[in-house]
Amino acid sequence: MSEIKTLEIPKWGLSMEEGTIAQWLIKEGDSFNKGDEICEIETTKIVNVLEAPFAGTLRKILAKDGDTLPVGGLIAVCAESEVSDAEIATFIASLGSSAAKAPEASSEQSKAETSAPVAEKAEQPRSVAASAPVPVKAAKGDYAVPESLQGYQTSDELFTTPHALKLAEKHNVNLAKVSGSGREGRISVQDIQKAVQDAGGQWPDVKQQTQARVVKSTADDSRVSATPVARRLAKQWGINLNDCRVSGTRGRVCKEDVEAVYYRNNPTSVNEQSAQCAVAQPQSTVTTVAMNGMRKAIASRLQAAKRNAPHFRLVVDLNVEAMQKLRKQINETVPQVKLSINDMLIKAAAAALIKVPEVNVQFDEATQSILQFSQADISVAVAIPNGLITPIVKAANQKSLAQISDDMRDLATRAKTGKLQPDEFQGGSFSISNLGMLGIKQFDAIINPPQGAIMALGASESRAVVENGNVVVREIVTATLSCDHRVIDGAVGAKFLASFKQFVENPALILV
Amino acid sequence: MSETQFDLIVIGAGPGGYVAAIRAAQLGLKTVIVEEQHLGGICLNWGCIPTKALLAGAELATQFKHAGQFGFQVPQLDFDIQKLVQHSRQVSAQLVQGIDYLLKKNQVTVFNGRAQLTAKEKIEVTDAQGNSQALSAPHIILATGAKARHVPQLPVDGAYVWSYKEALVPEQLPKSLLVVGSGAIGSEFASLYQDLGCQVTLIDLAKQILPTEDAEVAQFVRKQFEQKGMKVLTDAVVQSIQIENGQVHCVIETANDVQTIIFDHVLSAIGVQPNTEGLGLECLGVELNPQGFVAIDDYCKTNVAGLYAIGDVAGAPCLAHKASHEAMICVEKIAGVANVHSLDRSQIPGCIFTHPQVASIGLTESAAKAQNLPVRIGKFSLTANGKALAIGDACGFVKTVIHAETGELLGAHMVGHEVTEHIQGFAIAKYLEATDESLAQVIFPHPTLSEAMHESILASMQRAIHM
Repeated sequence: MSEIKTLEIPKWGLSMEEGTIAQWLIKEGDSFNKGDEICEIETTKIVNVLEAPFAGTLRKILAKDGDTLPVGGLIAVCAESEVSDAEIATFIASLGSSAAKAPEASSEQSKAETSAPVAEKAEQPRSVAASAPVPVKAAKGDYAVPESLQGYQTSDELFTTPHALKLAEKHNVNLAKVSGSGREGRISVQDIQKAVQDAGGQWPDVKQQTQARVVKSTADDSRVSATPVARRLAKQWGINLNDCRVSGTRGRVCKEDVEAVYYRNNPTSVNEQSAQCAVAQPQSTVTTVAMNGMRKAIASRLQAAKRNAPHFRLVVDLNVEAMQKLRKQINETVPQVKLSINDMLIKAAAAALIKVPEVNVQFDEATQSILQFSQADISVAVAIPNGLITPIVKAANQKSLAQISDDMRDLATRAKTGKLQPDEFQGGSFSISNLGMLGIKQFDAIINPPQGAIMALGASESRAVVENGNVVVREIVTATLSCDHRVIDGAVGAKFLASFKQFVENPALILV
Repeated sequence: MSETQFDLIVIGAGPGGYVAAIRAAQLGLKTVIVEEQHLGGICLNWGCIPTKALLAGAELATQFKHAGQFGFQVPQLDFDIQKLVQHSRQVSAQLVQGIDYLLKKNQVTVFNGRAQLTAKEKIEVTDAQGNSQALSAPHIILATGAKARHVPQLPVDGAYVWSYKEALVPEQLPKSLLVVGSGAIGSEFASLYQDLGCQVTLIDLAKQILPTEDAEVAQFVRKQFEQKGMKVLTDAVVQSIQIENGQVHCVIETANDVQTIIFDHVLSAIGVQPNTEGLGLECLGVELNPQGFVAIDDYCKTNVAGLYAIGDVAGAPCLAHKASHEAMICVEKIAGVANVHSLDRSQIPGCIFTHPQVASIGLTESAAKAQNLPVRIGKFSLTANGKALAIGDACGFVKTVIHAETGELLGAHMVGHEVTEHIQGFAIAKYLEATDESLAQVIFPHPTLSEAMHESILASMQRAIHM
């Protein structure tokens, strides 16, 4: 079984707790090299590719597209082609509950149960250990060795793992009566456990026992001397380098040291459940596309906002001629800066939010309180393939137009490449959505909870307006503010829009 | 109407530009690449690759010369340079197709035409028929490369006085050739033409040929060149030329005298200059450095918002692999990939495909000493290497420059058979900050030329076994 390896949900960031399989990039039976792309895994909003930590052949996928598993959750089993399907099935059967979540588990379990007695009759210790489910669950980690198995003695004939030998001595087990299932009939702790349990005794589960011993350092390990490969493996497996033995040259933690910790933390143990996933394709004429993490987040958050927040809207037309003139002047004279009209509207909104802080709020439903912010962290909606994300221009009120412009260029690009950090799109005190570049004149936006308001901006276009009784042509943008009436009243929203309009139409004010 | 709004525009499809475009597409950016001539740039079409194809022919010529040593009596050879040129062009054509395929596969949009910046984030592409198209993107990368530099006393006419381009497609093998400039390009052509049977004279202003290489290496190569019959003049300059009766009369001034020498052709290889004209750089206020290259920061950003420059147009060393590496740095930085490191110039290997070949990385001995670094030098000659003797090409050596106190590999300089393939070993070692101690512990396979690398390290520790 030593040639069988597993793939798990990796830990990609401090806050990552679970991952969803977005898409398998290889099929069962495909061989891969170390570093090859195996599958795409989604966290809350980022999709990343799992690279193979080793070379091998994908034998069994345990987590399908769309399945969500905790970090460390088993997603596939890999082994070279010499390993038979039966051995793979047995291996899967021996794994923990994460693999057993598959719906087909129950039918496979009955199969495994029926095969066990047959194997016992045939008296083939290897297959017994391989396919037999554990009949007795040990209680409270006690050891109770039946008399028939007692009487520890050493002998040259015995071939056991050092750990098994030690435990047998401690609990007075006669190893001559235990059949080994390892290579060349080597006796493992699992073999002793099985023999004891078969004889009606108790022997605690190996996995629980080991897990209790797992110690994980949390200290910063960035200064631990390690080879590049070791550091990368440790990161992939969520292993702290402080927990690793140092056996490499020049006192460095090397690959082997990290692997040792990994195998210590992830032993394979006998478990009663099996999870052979027989794939039964439901016949359907409808193509079912698993909603990705982002789609789900958009759906649930905006549904909640629409349901919970009583929206009201305020609409205002903005004359942007002065702003366009200033923009042109800056862009033509300063090489380092390229402002868009949106960059300037963000700045104007930030200034208005500071002036009317009652709109610069989040609603904390749990405590029924309003959180008013001292700086304007403006979430800006960015369309990306198959979704939408709202990176935040933080403290926009304190930033220069050039800084806002640089921030937006960087945030929008990284939104498209999926490289935003969670703190760059989570939070924010106000949102702006601009569909002007798509030719939209005016629209209503849904509030981005827990924020209190969102502003929808349309295209900048020439319109006929009446000024002093005359019809004149002016460059106009229509802004629509959606407010959550639970925390922002109409007059407050109107006050904000008036202030915003003043900044937009007198852009010199946003420069000071 | 085709799409005009992109996430990234790349101008120039050489080894900098096409790598940038493919990497950007891999990272999810909607990317367009604009190329005026051939995909692959100079490297694939008129540089690295076609010269290597010609040099393979020269290599064969050298081997025929030494065939007797291995028991082969080679009859009078009949050499058709047209066939060799044909081979060289075919290789280029094949690789260009490969680039086309790669760009398509990665869904990079390709525009054939000349690009000009019209405003920040905007360019206009004009194709050969004169049709233009405006494109825009928040990020624009200039990867327009460089071209041969010319001086008035040596006007390139394409017929008698060549640039690298004409030297790549000769109609017949000249009887005599003057190569002006002994950098990588000049030296490679000099070696190539000499090996093919032409009488070559190589001339350089500097006191040594291969001015950027370690002095010992340059001296060794010069001796090898002279041994095969090449005339090498250093500290010398071409004052003027005149074409008379289908030949080039060159007035050459050396430290000692002035003489007129007659050649069939002259190759001007005095360096390169960046392709910065006609791009609209002036109207955006793009800053250039004193040498005329586009000025960039550690991550290839210019002074203009959203504008970047990579490869030859952004400064020396003008090497394809430096351009490709900058492409990665620039695009990954734009895309927000974690842990992007700026270019470390001490990690750029240099390869010169003369016969014998030259490869180097890091500091030369004299550069290290100029920085007052305490150094230990290791040197091992290929004459003591079993494999080199067996293949009958034992001319060359490996020289390593080690920091005397930390054991860091500061530089490595190699001359000899296929050393251009071996230098990567030292490049990896240098990148991983290997010390002499760790390199000494590496097991090098026997019998290979690479053992000389090991011995050179051991020699720096006074531990060489085979000498």
